[in-house]
Amino acid sequence: MKTLRLLGIGWLFHFKMIMRSAFDGIGQVIYPLFFATVAFFVFRAGDSPRTLLYASLGAAVMGMWSATSTTAGSAMQRERWQGTLEALVATPTNFALILLPVTIAMATIGIYSLVATLLWGRLLFGIQLTLVHPLLFVLSIPATVLTFGALGFLFAVCFVRFRAAWALGNMFEYPVWLICGFLVPLSFFPYWVRPISWILAPTWGMNAIRESSLGGSPLPDLLMCFALGTAYIALGFLVMDRLLRAARERAALSLT
Amino acid sequence: MAVVEAHDLRRVYKTHTGTIRRRVKEIEAVRGVSFQIEKGELFGLLGPNGAGKTTTIKMLITLLIPTAGSASVLGFDVVKDPREVRKRIGYVFGGERGVYERLSGYDNLRYFAELYGVPPKVQKPRIEELLELVGLKGREHERTEGYSRGMKQRLHVARGLLHDPEVVFLDEPTIGLDPVGARELRATIGTLTEAGKTILLTTHYMFEADALCDRIAVISQGEIVAEGTPAQLKSRVESGAVTEVEVYGIPDETVERLRTLEGVLSVWIEERDQAQVLSVQTRADVQLTAAILGHLNGSNVGRVSHREPTLEDAYVALVKDE
Amino acid sequence: MNSVRLFFVGGLTSYRALFYWLSPTIYIPSLIVAPIFQILLFAYIGRSAGLQSDAFYVTGNAIQYAAIPCLFAMSQTVSGERFQNTLSAILVSPAKRFPLFVGRALPVMGNAAFVSAFSFAAGCIILGVSLPAGSIPGLAVVILVAAFSCTGLGLTNAAVSLRVRENAVLSNVIFGFLLIFTGANVPISELPGWMQDVSHVLPLTHAIQAARDLAAGEPFSDVTGLLATELGLGLTYLAGGLVLLRVFEWQGRKHATLEQL
Repeated sequence: MKTLRLLGIGWLFHFKMIMRSAFDGIGQVIYPLFFATVAFFVFRAGDSPRTLLYASLGAAVMGMWSATSTTAGSAMQRERWQGTLEALVATPTNFALILLPVTIAMATIGIYSLVATLLWGRLLFGIQLTLVHPLLFVLSIPATVLTFGALGFLFAVCFVRFRAAWALGNMFEYPVWLICGFLVPLSFFPYWVRPISWILAPTWGMNAIRESSLGGSPLPDLLMCFALGTAYIALGFLVMDRLLRAARERAALSLT
Repeated sequence: MAVVEAHDLRRVYKTHTGTIRRRVKEIEAVRGVSFQIEKGELFGLLGPNGAGKTTTIKMLITLLIPTAGSASVLGFDVVKDPREVRKRIGYVFGGERGVYERLSGYDNLRYFAELYGVPPKVQKPRIEELLELVGLKGREHERTEGYSRGMKQRLHVARGLLHDPEVVFLDEPTIGLDPVGARELRATIGTLTEAGKTILLTTHYMFEADALCDRIAVISQGEIVAEGTPAQLKSRVESGAVTEVEVYGIPDETVERLRTLEGVLSVWIEERDQAQVLSVQTRADVQLTAAILGHLNGSNVGRVSHREPTLEDAYVALVKDE
Repeated sequence: MNSVRLFFVGGLTSYRALFYWLSPTIYIPSLIVAPIFQILLFAYIGRSAGLQSDAFYVTGNAIQYAAIPCLFAMSQTVSGERFQNTLSAILVSPAKRFPLFVGRALPVMGNAAFVSAFSFAAGCIILGVSLPAGSIPGLAVVILVAAFSCTGLGLTNAAVSLRVRENAVLSNVIFGFLLIFTGANVPISELPGWMQDVSHVLPLTHAIQAARDLAAGEPFSDVTGLLATELGLGLTYLAGGLVLLRVFEWQGRKHATLEQL
């Protein structure tokens, strides 16, 4: 119970802080729209209305992933630069519990991207959103946010020792867009790519959202999101202690 | 058992120089620091900038791991049981950074209250109390990016006391504060000891250490060069007098020869504008002015004066003796 | 300082600013891995929609990606001065602007050309795109011209970024525009009329077309017209950037805001 409260408060405050930086936020939402537009043009030439909605949903989740990956990589860096990283480590709370709500807050911003992309598709290309399983659709969104946040958490933990962690986080933007089935069905890739896609939560989040909209069985996808998210978090916790100790040994918690 | 124990703490920093050929340079910032602080004491760590004060404190509050040596707070080892240590200590670092600028002062405190495990029912009244104590009442709902340096400092103090810790570490807390603010902060620190807390304070202000601390350790270049109560440190200089001579360039051999004179306790030189001031501390029972001036024959000499020694002299002598 | 010295000293400063980007943790993810994945992303999107050919997407994206170093590294060399408070010192010096800032642009351009060429080659290898052997020298020229032209845009962007605080967002937006309007992933002919008009005044559009023609086996002589247009555009943007810098400098002196630049 205490843990949940801690996570909730952490999420609230970091979400508040992210929301207060309007310019960054707008940039975060606009940037994926360019890619969405290209996707719409390409798929429109394919001429099937269903394919356009497919593209719209794919592009929307691309935006959600972008919000997570580009910010997760730099999360720790920003804390270090602000001087708050030390303040956080010095508290008796497990640092992993402090970091997790930060990346989830970042992933939550992805919802703005999702909505913006769907609206963009509607306004400019006339793409209508259908909801075959509306309840599951509504459920899929926070499920995707949470699992993206969990993966972002794992990134943040692993990249903490790099001064240019932001570049590493950015590096995972395109690859995930490519192999997690956002705009390209997995069948197009060589067989060895598929296991990689399967251990990445975005694949399942995308499936869940897409199948709740277009039809299919989103429930197994949601379960996979949950399972993978738990695995990422567990892994992050395991590695965190060791990394923090290394940081304390190398005096890497502060800039000076 | 002492509340804070440090045994031969050492800390080496590695820095990299150059981009093509990376060379590693090792700097030993702390070289074997040991001391003990008893319950309820206000212990001062006094030293010039770069002496290793901040590094020492960071090791004690578990942010840095010592390269050698050990330390414990309330019986818990800072390396093996960091969590237990963190539950029971608060720390206050000065400076502009270290707060969330986009949050209000109040939100900053709420967040950290949660992280420090302050029970939910206690959080609100405690925060109100602390805001009152540090004088931020009325400004707590503004974003801290708009706070002045002094206000941020006060917020740091409030944050350090959120969970009512038994031991409080303060690193140069009055630096950058205006005189009034600094005085208020010193008064606040005084009340903390009255409440039974154990305090470690680092500072480079002699008078601050003298006024506040029960005991002082003087640290210079990573080592403790003297330790004792302010009175004890003063007694090291109480006897005798200090002769100050303005000189314009003085060869090192002369300084060395002066040191060897019978009755001379210590010799040091300070730069002051165009000239240097040679200070010679002598025993009370000798009159060495003529002898000193004799040795200075050949150098240009300005004013000569005598005065009582102060704690400042002891400090300067200690830290400049290398 | 004579012009030649200015040219090289200015270039060296730019090179050092580039050093930030040259650190492996930044260079490899941003300028090696990312462009290759951008190529793969759109090539596969094209495949799944059954449109165009792999070669289409390789040429388009490899050249378009030059925009990243051109926009970001260039902004940094100009704004980097701002942070070191040396920009105003330079601007009030009698140093000639042209060799100074063009000297800055040279390493950026070289880097951009390298990024395009590398990702081009990698994309072809990974996707199994074969190019006519005779087209390679021509493609090299196209890449250089594209890098030059985009650097011109980069200089204009850098000048604007002196006034706009959040220049990273602006650079990202420009990158996005280039993604759509240059025909990198959507044939120009499929864009609405007004968009086509915009395409023709943007850098990279003509270079991408030239590259595609060469890859399709057309002789170099056929694309010289496109390259000339591209060069002309590049010079226009370069000149525009220099003019803007002058204007901001003049404004800065008039309103005493040079340090705020």
